[in-house]
Amino acid sequence: MAEMTRYDDSGARFWRVALYTTLIVFAVFYLLPLFVMLVTSFKSLDEIRQGNMLALPVQWTIEPWLKAWGTACVGLTCEGIHGYFWNSIKMVVPAVTISTILGALNGYVLTKWRFRGHKWIFALMLFGCFIPFQIVLIPMSQVLGKLGIAGDTAGLVLVHVTYGIGFSTLFFRNYYEAFPNELVKAAMIDGAGFFRIFWRIMLPSSGPIIVVTVIWQFTNIWNDFLFGASFAAGEGAPMTVALNNLVSSSTGVKEYNVHMAAAVIAAFPTLLVYVVAGRYFVRGLMAGSVKG
Amino acid sequence: MSSLEISGICKSFGTTEVLKNIDISIDSGDFLVLVGPSGCGKSTLLNMIAGLDTITSGDIVIDAEVVNDVRPSQRDIAMVFQSYALYPNMNVAKNISFGLEMRKMPKAEREQRVKKVAKLLQMEPLLNRKPSQLSGGQRQRVAMGRALVREPKIFLFDEPLSNLDAKLRVDMRTEIKKLHQRLCSTIVYVTHDQIEAMTLATKIAVMKDGILQQLGTPNEVYYNPSNLFVASFMGSPSMNLLSAEVGKQEGGLAVRIRQESGNEIMLPLPEVASYRQWVGKTVTLGIRPEAITDPGSAESGSSLLFNADCMIDVTEPTGAELYAIMELNEREVVARMRANCDVQAGQTTNVTFNMQHALLFDPETENRIA
Repeated sequence: MAEMTRYDDSGARFWRVALYTTLIVFAVFYLLPLFVMLVTSFKSLDEIRQGNMLALPVQWTIEPWLKAWGTACVGLTCEGIHGYFWNSIKMVVPAVTISTILGALNGYVLTKWRFRGHKWIFALMLFGCFIPFQIVLIPMSQVLGKLGIAGDTAGLVLVHVTYGIGFSTLFFRNYYEAFPNELVKAAMIDGAGFFRIFWRIMLPSSGPIIVVTVIWQFTNIWNDFLFGASFAAGEGAPMTVALNNLVSSSTGVKEYNVHMAAAVIAAFPTLLVYVVAGRYFVRGLMAGSVKG
Repeated sequence: MSSLEISGICKSFGTTEVLKNIDISIDSGDFLVLVGPSGCGKSTLLNMIAGLDTITSGDIVIDAEVVNDVRPSQRDIAMVFQSYALYPNMNVAKNISFGLEMRKMPKAEREQRVKKVAKLLQMEPLLNRKPSQLSGGQRQRVAMGRALVREPKIFLFDEPLSNLDAKLRVDMRTEIKKLHQRLCSTIVYVTHDQIEAMTLATKIAVMKDGILQQLGTPNEVYYNPSNLFVASFMGSPSMNLLSAEVGKQEGGLAVRIRQESGNEIMLPLPEVASYRQWVGKTVTLGIRPEAITDPGSAESGSSLLFNADCMIDVTEPTGAELYAIMELNEREVVARMRANCDVQAGQTTNVTFNMQHALLFDPETENRIA
């Protein structure tokens, strides 16, 4: 059999080589900025001024990283970005948790406890996914002002939860659409109520879609700049806003190495989330998309 | 163990009526099978008994208590689903005991009950497995275990065997029957398979288009079907139905049948008073395949045997017996014969008609003439 399958495949091999070459070229091209950032962040300012962007550092130093974290000047204070990093964590963790839980509950209700008009509710939530951020800035600031949480992390959490519910509902609804109704009926007969079914039957089977939602929400909220810049001022600003202030506000010399280190720190959590949970991401996105 | 009464049940979704005025009542220990083609409303009716579907009008009464507005969990019923509906995140033992846990039964007692059921269904080695690690038959068993462990008033089965392969289906059927005989439980069972209905039921409810066609014991439904639908739905191969004219002959009434060759034969009819009004008119004659057979296999006690030479068009041996197909009154008619009888396609052979169980139907209303 092996003999029979050995045919002349030089043409196929050529295309394979061409394909891989192209892919590698694009991958390198795509990764180049990250490479420059990392390399620059480990150089001293003198070395940077010599102008060879792509060269590896002659003298490796972690000084820029320490400075970015602890002593760099952001605006008027010179305590580095670590305070803002924690601001972002304090904003992201509750916002992701709340929007994921609400999305799961919504998906559960919209598929397993249908009511008159459920399609309309879902359509409106979907519509919410496509409202541009800029449109809601002014009404949102009024709402936050009335609630007394403007310029506060709690305010940002509320904004991101509100924006996140559309997507998280979409994810969970599509996932639960394919979840067999008979399981819910069986649990009802077994005596489980609304929340018990959700907690004991639905959630334990929702691993992939929880991962998808968490990655999606985490990336979006962590990387958000507009809401952060609009609704959180000064000390309360999230990481993205602080990074911008750091880069644009420095008086005197532009410390590229410190800026690069700060930027990598800012990007690190999202990278980490992808590396840890990324393989579930595609799997979860595909699940439930076949039916319903 | 309890009785169940379904009285005047109607169900509509918007303007479409799914169930029309259904009346069924069964006693404690009865095995009621709801049977009918898909879309006849049998599963909806079962869901209504379970409380998973709302009732448009009418009452469902369990043990003299109207349960229309009682929640599924409070009705003291257990249900086995077609897809088994095992909780995928729990192992077999957890699946079985979930209902008990929800009812706040102490852990020790729960474990004892699970053990008992596992032993009854011979699935002790499976208790720690997840549903995904089980075969179809094993899942079926677990689904039954989950219902049995609750010791409910009424068991509801929604086509529990239709996802199994043919061999396993027959085995499980026997097992369900054994369980029923042993536990004397009250069961409502939905199926579209008339053989399952015949073998399992103490009472059969035949349904079509949301209307209850007939309610009776398997024998009543088989031998005294109330209309053409029930007659043709129950039994396999299904009953032969031909239109024929009723005539008088010496010793009683008979139906006139024309064979393929052009020969006419008069098949005698059992003595039923109302048949007289139909003399000279056309009726639909119903005769089961087993009533047309080789002379050697004919029911010897029957008083209404009639022999005729018939031309056989096709033979279909099944191993255990042989189906011979012929043409009478321009309709294909199946005869059920001994496997080793000497019948060949394209040849004429002597056939015995046992007319004792022959039935007549009004061709207009499709009801049985009785």
